[in-house]
Amino acid sequence: MISARNLTKRYAQNVAVDNLSLEVESGQFFGLLGPNGSGKTTTIHMLSTLLKPSEGSILINGIDVSQNPREVRRQIGLVFQESALDRTLSVEENLLFCAGLHGLKKRQVKERINALLELFNLENKKSAPVASLSGGMRRSVDIIRGVLHQPKILFLDEPTVGLDIQSRRRIWRFIQRLIQDQSLTVILTTHYLEEATPCDITSFIKAGHIVSSGTPDSLIKEFAQTVVEVECDNPDMLLKRIDIPQSQIITDDSSSILIRVLDDKKPDLEKIQTTLSEGAMSFKVRKPNLNDVFLWLTNRREGQGT
Amino acid sequence: MIVALGVVISRELKKTFRQKSRLLASLVRPLIWLFVIGGGIGSIVPSDSNSNYQQAIVPGILGMTLLFGSMLSALTTVYDKESGVMRMFIISPMSSYGIILSKLASSTIAGIVQVIGLLIILFSLRIVDVGQIHITLFIFGLICTALTCSTIGLITAVLSKSLENFAAIMNFVIFPVFFLSGALYPIDNLPPALHWVAVANPFSYGVDLIKHSITSVSVTPDFGKVPDIIVLFVFTVIGVTFSSWRFSQESTSAALVSILSKGRKS
Repeated sequence: MISARNLTKRYAQNVAVDNLSLEVESGQFFGLLGPNGSGKTTTIHMLSTLLKPSEGSILINGIDVSQNPREVRRQIGLVFQESALDRTLSVEENLLFCAGLHGLKKRQVKERINALLELFNLENKKSAPVASLSGGMRRSVDIIRGVLHQPKILFLDEPTVGLDIQSRRRIWRFIQRLIQDQSLTVILTTHYLEEATPCDITSFIKAGHIVSSGTPDSLIKEFAQTVVEVECDNPDMLLKRIDIPQSQIITDDSSSILIRVLDDKKPDLEKIQTTLSEGAMSFKVRKPNLNDVFLWLTNRREGQGT
Repeated sequence: MIVALGVVISRELKKTFRQKSRLLASLVRPLIWLFVIGGGIGSIVPSDSNSNYQQAIVPGILGMTLLFGSMLSALTTVYDKESGVMRMFIISPMSSYGIILSKLASSTIAGIVQVIGLLIILFSLRIVDVGQIHITLFIFGLICTALTCSTIGLITAVLSKSLENFAAIMNFVIFPVFFLSGALYPIDNLPPALHWVAVANPFSYGVDLIKHSITSVSVTPDFGKVPDIIVLFVFTVIGVTFSSWRFSQESTSAALVSILSKGRKS
């Protein structure tokens, strides 16, 4: 469905995306994850015809993006970090306007608009001005806008950024139903790693290239069987007291230490707990999640092994 | 493309009619000019019953309505860039040429709607007599002028980055275009430097074409009908081509794309 080869995007001073390749199959839910400035959004913009790559090629559904961007735009839907709606017009006016830009007449999309509004619980907001909607509702309308023309591929660039947790969960329930109903191929970028858990494939991107790729489960398994999370004020000082190889320790900020527990290299948990009892605020043994993998992959310094 | 054109025009009209204060201003502004400036200056210009200053500036005032209506509407392209509506355009399968043409059509129509409003008032106050108008040429002149004004607006819109310099646009584009044309005085009487600016100003030819269509004695055109039409046509074609080219440049779209991600380069 999507095949990107050796993508590079250079700006005047820096390289935003560096020789990146990726494949997404039809019907897949694909997550592109990485810290700010890692090149996620630039990659999405290149895949969706909005930016021209400096080097490399992209095929979307067999169409070369640089040769025929308009045909590609017909087949994809985009939901951006920022809303793309006219706040002074009503929900329905916005959707009809957008459908019109795609060449769809009112009577062709009227039913579809109603069905989608119903799916997102917005059927009674049809004639409300967009400016009067809450942030979550506006996002929902943006998502409806993105799928109105029945695209085969939907790009979601941080679709829930800036929303409270309830709205985020609601929107995700809707998105999941949408993916099922419309059998969409979805490319997602997000900061909230738990949102990427239902992805079929997640790829972690750092400094413009993909550092790791696979199903969320396999990435988590590869990372560790268990994680020990130690909450403390001064991780650097505590770290000096325990004897664990650097490769098994992750410090994401100044308030906690994560210790990867692998089956073959089991550290002595009891010993660690005793050594750290002074200075640690909490000591938790738990299953690893995608967030841990993210911290591990993105904070890892060069030369540190897996 | 036709459907897209339709929705862009209907959006523009909805917005024009919904902003009641803007619509009202578009009617009141020309009337103030006509009565206050027309009356004030008219009192120091010698006139007789057949020819007076107020009558003489009617084509200029009609042109002004189009200039403000069409040009401000074309300038909302800048607002669309900022508010995010332009995102809907750039992710749709429309070409940059199609986007610019639909904007041209919608702002031309918005200008025409406003001038129709003004004409109803002028006709009912008997300031303009229908008997003194070549209707076909008059309508043609209004449309050509509206197209030209929209084109000036589009060129300004694709060249300016944000609405912050809106005051600058007002001072350096709209006012000079209006004052340095034949709208308020025949350009022949202008000092040489200003005369040449007025000759280079496409808006002068729009006002001039409207003058040709009104046969009252006080209105004297500066140029010929045919040169008027040629200048307006050539300017619109070149202006629209330039705007589309400029709009399709990566530097323009990259700026838009960066707004899509809160200005972050990530």
